[in-house]
Amino acid sequence: MTTIMTADMTLVHAATTAASQPSSLLWLIPFLPFFGFLINGLSGRKLRNTAVVDFFALGSVGLAFILTLWHFIQLIGMPADGRSLHQSLWTWFNVGGAQVLGGLSTYKIEWAYKFDVLSGCMALLVSGAGFLIHLFSTGYMAEERNDGRYYRFMAYLNLFVFSMLNLVLGANIMMMFLGWEGVGLCSYLLIGFYFEKEFAAAAGKKAFVTNRIGDFGFMIGFFLIFQVFGSLDYDTLMGSVREVANLPLITLYGHTASPTWWFNLIGCCLFVGAMGKSAQIPLYVWLPDAMAGPTPVSALIHAATMVTSGLYMITRLNFIYVNAPVALAVVLAFGSLTAFVAATMGLAQYDIKKVLAYSTVSQLGFMFMGMGAGAFSAGMFHVFTHAFFKASLFLGSGAVIAACHHEQDMRNMGGLKKLMPITAMSMILATFAIAGIFPFSGFFSKDEILWKVFEGWYQHGHYTGPTLNLLAWILGMLGAFCTAFYMTRLIAMTFYGDYRGAGHDPHGLSVPSEAHGDAHGAAHDDHGHDAHGHDAHGHDAHAPAVAHDTHEAHGHGPAEVSWRMWLPVSILAGLAVVGGFLNYPESLHRILPIVPAELFSKWIEPLLYQVAPLHHGEHIPPAMEYGLMAWATLVWAPGAMLLAWWIYKVDPTWSRAKAFVARFPNLYRWCNAKYYVDEFYDAAIIEPIKRFSAQLWSFDTWVVDGMVNGAARVTLIWANLMHWVDEYLIDGSVDLVEYMVQETSAVFRGLQTGRVQHYAFVMFIGFLVFAFWKFIA
Amino acid sequence: MFTVNTTLMLVATFLPVLGALVLLLVPKDQRRVFEVGSLLIMIASLLLSLPFWFGYDRASDAVQWAGAWSWIPALGVKFSVGMDGISLLLWLLTTFIGPIAIACSFSAILERHKEYYIWMLVLQTAMLGVFITQDMFLFYLFWEVMLVPMYFLIAIWGGPQKLYAAIKLFLYTLAGSVLMLVALLAIYFLQHQTTGVYDFSLASFQAMAPVIAQQSKSYQTLMALAFFVGFAIKVPMFPFHTWLPDAHVQAPTAGSVILAAILLKMGTYGFVRFLLPIMPTATKDLMPWFLGLSLIGIIYGALVAMIQKDMKKLVAYSSVSHLGLCMLGLFALNPYGIKGGLFQMLNHGISTSGLFLAVGIVYERRHTRMIADFGGLSKSMPIFATIFMIMTMSSIGLPLLNGFIGEGVILMGAFQAFPWAAVVATLGIILGAAYMLWMFQRVMFGPITEVNEKMEDLNLREILYFAPLVIAAFWIGLYPGPIMDVMDAPVRKLVEQVSPGFHAAQDLAAKQAAAAKLGMKGMTAPAAHHDSDPTGHEAAPAAHGAPAHGGGH
Repeated sequence: MTTIMTADMTLVHAATTAASQPSSLLWLIPFLPFFGFLINGLSGRKLRNTAVVDFFALGSVGLAFILTLWHFIQLIGMPADGRSLHQSLWTWFNVGGAQVLGGLSTYKIEWAYKFDVLSGCMALLVSGAGFLIHLFSTGYMAEERNDGRYYRFMAYLNLFVFSMLNLVLGANIMMMFLGWEGVGLCSYLLIGFYFEKEFAAAAGKKAFVTNRIGDFGFMIGFFLIFQVFGSLDYDTLMGSVREVANLPLITLYGHTASPTWWFNLIGCCLFVGAMGKSAQIPLYVWLPDAMAGPTPVSALIHAATMVTSGLYMITRLNFIYVNAPVALAVVLAFGSLTAFVAATMGLAQYDIKKVLAYSTVSQLGFMFMGMGAGAFSAGMFHVFTHAFFKASLFLGSGAVIAACHHEQDMRNMGGLKKLMPITAMSMILATFAIAGIFPFSGFFSKDEILWKVFEGWYQHGHYTGPTLNLLAWILGMLGAFCTAFYMTRLIAMTFYGDYRGAGHDPHGLSVPSEAHGDAHGAAHDDHGHDAHGHDAHGHDAHAPAVAHDTHEAHGHGPAEVSWRMWLPVSILAGLAVVGGFLNYPESLHRILPIVPAELFSKWIEPLLYQVAPLHHGEHIPPAMEYGLMAWATLVWAPGAMLLAWWIYKVDPTWSRAKAFVARFPNLYRWCNAKYYVDEFYDAAIIEPIKRFSAQLWSFDTWVVDGMVNGAARVTLIWANLMHWVDEYLIDGSVDLVEYMVQETSAVFRGLQTGRVQHYAFVMFIGFLVFAFWKFIA
Repeated sequence: MFTVNTTLMLVATFLPVLGALVLLLVPKDQRRVFEVGSLLIMIASLLLSLPFWFGYDRASDAVQWAGAWSWIPALGVKFSVGMDGISLLLWLLTTFIGPIAIACSFSAILERHKEYYIWMLVLQTAMLGVFITQDMFLFYLFWEVMLVPMYFLIAIWGGPQKLYAAIKLFLYTLAGSVLMLVALLAIYFLQHQTTGVYDFSLASFQAMAPVIAQQSKSYQTLMALAFFVGFAIKVPMFPFHTWLPDAHVQAPTAGSVILAAILLKMGTYGFVRFLLPIMPTATKDLMPWFLGLSLIGIIYGALVAMIQKDMKKLVAYSSVSHLGLCMLGLFALNPYGIKGGLFQMLNHGISTSGLFLAVGIVYERRHTRMIADFGGLSKSMPIFATIFMIMTMSSIGLPLLNGFIGEGVILMGAFQAFPWAAVVATLGIILGAAYMLWMFQRVMFGPITEVNEKMEDLNLREILYFAPLVIAAFWIGLYPGPIMDVMDAPVRKLVEQVSPGFHAAQDLAAKQAAAAKLGMKGMTAPAAHHDSDPTGHEAAPAAHGAPAHGGGH
């Protein structure tokens, strides 16, 4: 007992001193938003002045951002392979001994934070983008300020930031899981924020349950890690992984296999978790529905931060994946498939948020492609650039939606560029970024990913055979084409042409507005919100996400939104424009040496597992890299953009698009209905489970309980039988005896006359008999 | 010889029944007196029990505050009491739930107040008694006595089918108890054969483990089965669970709370206290069956819960699922599993009580428990919505809340012992989220109807009795350390009883500490022989067949 105690203490001690420096303020980064949540959540209901709610919500996240920045600067000053800060708050749980590979592990799970090269970047993103989106929300949710639910929204957002910071800053897998589930909860609460809407509540539940399916894999994955390593602490795992990976064989549960085999298993299980959180095929179905939440939520949770948790997890545990070629191949395959398939779905949507939702799924696929190709830093870099441009796009779409009085159908928009120039400009820049046009950020990150995938095939250096890489690259390129196309389509439909929302619709493009509930040519000065009460989701593809109880009338057309909304959009768009230079590729660095090369890759490199030692500076980029780069940014993406421009802008009647749809109605229908995957799941999984449950319940009632009741009934029947036996046989024989006694006694009854004389006579006779018997004896 | 602490323990245990005696003297139209009086008695008992939390010696695995009186010397029966960490936690859970169960009855019980509160108090003492006895005879006595008040609570203050449910509860669990009694007596006589003395003390029963292990296989199997069925009915495990939904649905809210929080724990406690330490060999032999039933319980309970239309029945079936998980943890027979199982007992006591209380709240207001009758309650009852949400999340094992600690640790423990069983159980957790959130969605979200719009939010009394549960849920979720420490030594002892030499394996702590020291530096590949060769790097990825530069350039 004592020896274990001391050993434990050394363990904890070691974790705080050696591999990382202690930091006493680290805990405040996640906990500041938590305090914000507590203050607003507990007292917000009573606060009349929502500015106080703003103060706590924004202040806590803003402070957290400043603290993160401060810690980040500290990191910069540290040696490259020791950039890690660490703080352990308390022992979360200490379960005792566990028999794992090699012996008995007495690992204690600490409530601890670790701020290193990866989590530092993520924390900057979460608190920074989080702050901007909080700011945006203060404008976007203005109408909720009056109906008493504003505080709830801000409190949930703060809780989300707390959970997300736990996810990225946690020093062990259990802490990551804490955040992982926490963000799931916040996502659930925020998607279902307008809970009186049936579909919003259902979407929240769907997100949670789908994520739980992913968590199932994640949990099995980290259980396996625990079995192999006997620990969940990142530092311990990183410190011991090389030894484990070099073991000749690992035997667990009586199964002996190479470490690679076990790492593959772990990697695949963990990837299931990533599929859930990061919306990959086949678990992506919750993300489009999640658009039922308010738009800032979509930007913060379902684009910039939460959905990248899967990527963060894979990068964090890259030492597993580098040693697990099959798992990497699986990641690559699912990633590329998602990148392409989701992009095709984005082509056929009219709901502006839905386009962005599918786009997010697709872009997440790109990130996984990068990871699958072993290019963790490229995949991670896309996480950041994507966060910039996609958050900007989402917030921009939110601004558009707000300006159009909660209209989300792009057919009812148009011409907004003149009406809201700042938002339009920001979104257009972000579109260039996502389309991958040089020198916008998306170009650097996406091109890097595609190049790494291609390189795997091109150089024959990679592990699963080149075919998968080539296939993935082709899917990726097609996905990139679709991305450029649907984003340009979105811009053209929303910002160009004429505003169709107010009845000026010469080409008959607009549709009956679901958000407004009235037929479109109706008097445009009465777009009140009174129609919001009705159940407006005729079909799930066009679910209005924002609803109101207020009955104010909007007599004016769309106009630029308040600074609270356009400022975050433009800041993020600015980052989307320049962010790419943080990871300027080596190949371009040779042409333009002013920009430092690969800042991000080098920053994150010490965290990535190396199979062989690295050498810097001798890498000569092949001509092929330049060729593909030029092809992608000069021909491929601009081609897609021009095509969309030609279809949707040059021809204001969209006749080419209509002709295409008329020519291939099924193609359109399938893309629009996301290939009926939801319907398939419903029919193949959910309904059977419900039917099976119903059958089980009957089984429970009639068989299991039937046996109990049957036992009771049998006992009763038996009791009745016994009663009969008792009454007629046993009691009957008693009665018989009694009867016989009675009958017999009838004979003697005559003797009992009650007359003294008779008794005296009998006594006398008796006396005579006795005397006679004595006499004879 | 009694120490002061033993006396105090007995006082805390018997205070409710003494209070009941006093209340007997009060005229029966004094409703307030019964309500407040029994609440005060329960609170007093709780306050008296709290010092034991602090006084418990966490380093020792011995029975603490032990005391024994000779009672029936001819049979070797003693009035022997004392607690170790495991019993202490359940004992404290009982005193903790007691006041809540009383407080939630004030508005729910509308007739025969005197009997009701007296029965509640008697029940409390009987339950507390089970956890402090160290004598099998006394244990059996409390175990059986407990049923009587529960029977009356359901049969008098229950729902429309109260008599059926009450009789079913009574007879079903009695059948189990009798089986257990037979097994107890068998061991008792076996003990007499081997040692020549008659002794009912728990320690002597546990000391019989090696003797029992030498008996014939069929003897051991029968004995283990007798114990198993006896406890499994109480837990209840599939397929012995059908009394539970009936009892829960028919019982008054407080009855459900006590049933879920404490009574079911008697079964799991029985496993921990008797089956595992007394018959480890037979348990291991029968393990596939036990595991199978636990797993069926988890999935089956969850699936059946999913389609229930009655909220209370849903929660009842969820109990079957949760307790299946608890049993899975206990059967893992390692520290993670057993500690997780014990935690799950406490957590289930907290979260399921909370859920039953929540159902009670809406039932009192609408006199229906059908999910279809509700919807959108979040609008009219925001405080209730928050608390109900917390309890739901606690029940589905969300980190930060208590449920996660139990479930997570159980699953880790089960995974160490039976990976496939853990995989199946983890599937059950997905279903758990599905049925709970589906119920929550249908009850609390969606459009609100006119009737439901008028439902009043929680009043102060209701908030007050939910508050301890919410606090406990967060406390256990955030900082379960102190509770883990309390169960540490007894669990260690139990694991050694079941699997001798478990803790003797090589300790990895020093190795892990060294690895932690290395940390991120471990990612850098050690310098290879071609390190000096500047062109060697181009070939490196191909040669190793794996990506060498984690995306470096």
